[in-house]
Amino acid sequence: MVRNIVVLSGNSHPSLVESICNILSVPPCNRILTKFSGGESRCEIQDSVRGKDVYIVQSGGGAVNDHFIELCIMISACKMGSAKRVTAVLPLFPYSRQPDAPYNKSGAPLSKPKEHKSKEKYTFESVPATPGPGMPKSVGLSAGSDLVREPFFEKGPTSAPAGHSKAGSVSSQTGSTTVDRDYRSSMSMGSDFGGLQAKKGYKQWVAQAGNLIADLLTCAGADHVVTLELHDPQYQGFFDSPVDNLYARPLLKRYIQQIPGYKEAVIVSPDAGGTKRASGIADDLGMDIALIHKERRPTKITDRQNATMMLVGDVFGRVCILVDDLLDTGNTITRAAKLLQREGAQEVYALVTHGVFSGDAIARVNASTLYKVIVTNSVPQDLHQEMCPKLEVLDVSSIFSEAIRRIHHGESLSVLFQHD
Amino acid sequence: MSSGMANEIKLLSGSSHTELSNKVANRLGIDIARTTSLNYSNQETSVTIGESVRDEDVYIIQSTAPGDVNDGLMELLIMIHACKTASARRITAVIPCYPYARQDKKDKSRAPISARLIANMLQTAGANHIITMDLHASQIQGFFNVPCDNLYAEPSVLRWIKENMNMADTVIVSPDAGGAKRATSIADRLNASFALIHKERPRPNVVGRMVLIGEVRDKVAILVDDMSDTCGTLAKAAALLRENKAREIIAIATHGILSGNAIETVNNSCLSKLVVTNTVPLGDKLERCPKLQVIDVSGTLAEAIRRTHNGESVSYLFTHVPDWDQ
Repeated sequence: MVRNIVVLSGNSHPSLVESICNILSVPPCNRILTKFSGGESRCEIQDSVRGKDVYIVQSGGGAVNDHFIELCIMISACKMGSAKRVTAVLPLFPYSRQPDAPYNKSGAPLSKPKEHKSKEKYTFESVPATPGPGMPKSVGLSAGSDLVREPFFEKGPTSAPAGHSKAGSVSSQTGSTTVDRDYRSSMSMGSDFGGLQAKKGYKQWVAQAGNLIADLLTCAGADHVVTLELHDPQYQGFFDSPVDNLYARPLLKRYIQQIPGYKEAVIVSPDAGGTKRASGIADDLGMDIALIHKERRPTKITDRQNATMMLVGDVFGRVCILVDDLLDTGNTITRAAKLLQREGAQEVYALVTHGVFSGDAIARVNASTLYKVIVTNSVPQDLHQEMCPKLEVLDVSSIFSEAIRRIHHGESLSVLFQHD
Repeated sequence: MSSGMANEIKLLSGSSHTELSNKVANRLGIDIARTTSLNYSNQETSVTIGESVRDEDVYIIQSTAPGDVNDGLMELLIMIHACKTASARRITAVIPCYPYARQDKKDKSRAPISARLIANMLQTAGANHIITMDLHASQIQGFFNVPCDNLYAEPSVLRWIKENMNMADTVIVSPDAGGAKRATSIADRLNASFALIHKERPRPNVVGRMVLIGEVRDKVAILVDDMSDTCGTLAKAAALLRENKAREIIAIATHGILSGNAIETVNNSCLSKLVVTNTVPLGDKLERCPKLQVIDVSGTLAEAIRRTHNGESVSYLFTHVPDWDQ
């Protein structure tokens, strides 16, 4: 039993909060967290937080923007309710990985949406369409577990604002339907592909929300931020408040050690950015490492996929363990698996910290040559697990509850950063 | 307007209400700057900027689409932040319908003052100036440490009433005590009589018992409010006015959020007309609700932008509709 502590749950991941609370043996704080019919989040904290040490757990998956604004409102409510200290616990940090501009030099989208792509056509070669104007919004798989959406949202394409172009409708694999959102860009563009045409002589760029998110959390009143495996460790520098970046690595390592004959297996990083992460694990376990080098931007329009993927290292006849921090559309990891298979690898495991599985990622993974995909429950995985027999989930609630306990008691966290 | 010069008006538009942005741009005679916002498959918002804003006077128009408030808000914050990092001289957020305006006080223990949080977030993102319209409570202006111009739809509403109604037998009715000031102001300007409905509100979005104070018999009753959301209040108020023998009942509200079953509620109510402004995108609601009429306020917003840019006073707009046609 930990005293004077309040654990408050957002809507993004109630089951994780439940197990954190169980480990800490404190009841989760009673709160009402819904939406008004107009779409504004509504938050009421029913237990007193005066003078308490408050931990608000909200992950970044699913309806990211809703969850983030919700988190800010909760932080602000606790601050206004005279909480002694408010710590935001973000198992998956929202907006931590901003993709590159999905356009090539001439401004055309890198990959165009396929017309009426049917479910059966997912293979490990299918490529997620680059988001663009006129593209339907992906609901993601956890959309069904989110809050009840307003009736406005479920009216079908007829409720799209007048004068807006309508994209084809989308169906997600869960059977939950959604309305395509309108991404019509500003009107004065007149480009053939419907994308953004930058002004002459100006190179278009994608806004990086990184330090904005950090600033907004601070502005809402967060005194401390706890998160798991930030995509960029530099992200911590965006905050003026302390940030504890926890690692799931001990969990991943423990899993690897259970794989039969793991000493002969090869740790593979699916892209150059993750090499450090992969080599860390490989060094600790005394394993070999291989690296896949991936060029995201195609060099030739005609031969755009796979043309620039290459493997550095030897995997022939060996078990491969792909290690990455985030599985989003699953494109990187499934393509890597395919390449490894082609290079003669035996079984291919994928160990990923955050399994977002957005868009058609589940179908992609199911169709891929991956033998097993192991993720942590930093975002809800129940729905994903039902649909993906290859998926195994590692529980991170013990890491978070231990971090919360230590932070609350003012003990050192560094034992959690040690990778043994 | 000449291009290539610094410190011109740069008008950016969020995706929530491009129709209004277009109207404002047309009034100002400029193009909307080239930006797009997309949602990636993980539902994060991504904003692409295709045009320099360096040293320009940036205005970002973003309304709150019902049901999509948080997405619109994040998009606005990211756009403001993007312009800030791209060295805009000044960034003005033009928010015709301020989100979370109703969560503006700590009405019970630990209730969030979300309106203030939004104000702080806008400033944190980098907004130097806010232009909004008919704030639910004008005190919200005090939540900002930067200038916040609260425009009024009242001049446009007055003009609509004068053009469309016979003034001889109208009575202006406020559907709640909070809106009495707004309603009396309109009644005074029109020299019309005034009535008030007192209501009890046990829970948010739920309306309790109502009492009419004032005389409406055989008159045309005009209900005036700042926003119509679920329209439960309006429908009940209309029924109450009908009970008290009002001849015709119409409602005028600035922000037509019309969420939930609002359209059905209005269609089945005793209201003969519901008049809203275009601060909020209405989508297909105009087709679904024959009683719905729209007042265009893009002129007021455009003129406020023009005046702010040129350093002129905005207060003229508090009492007058700008005349763009002349």
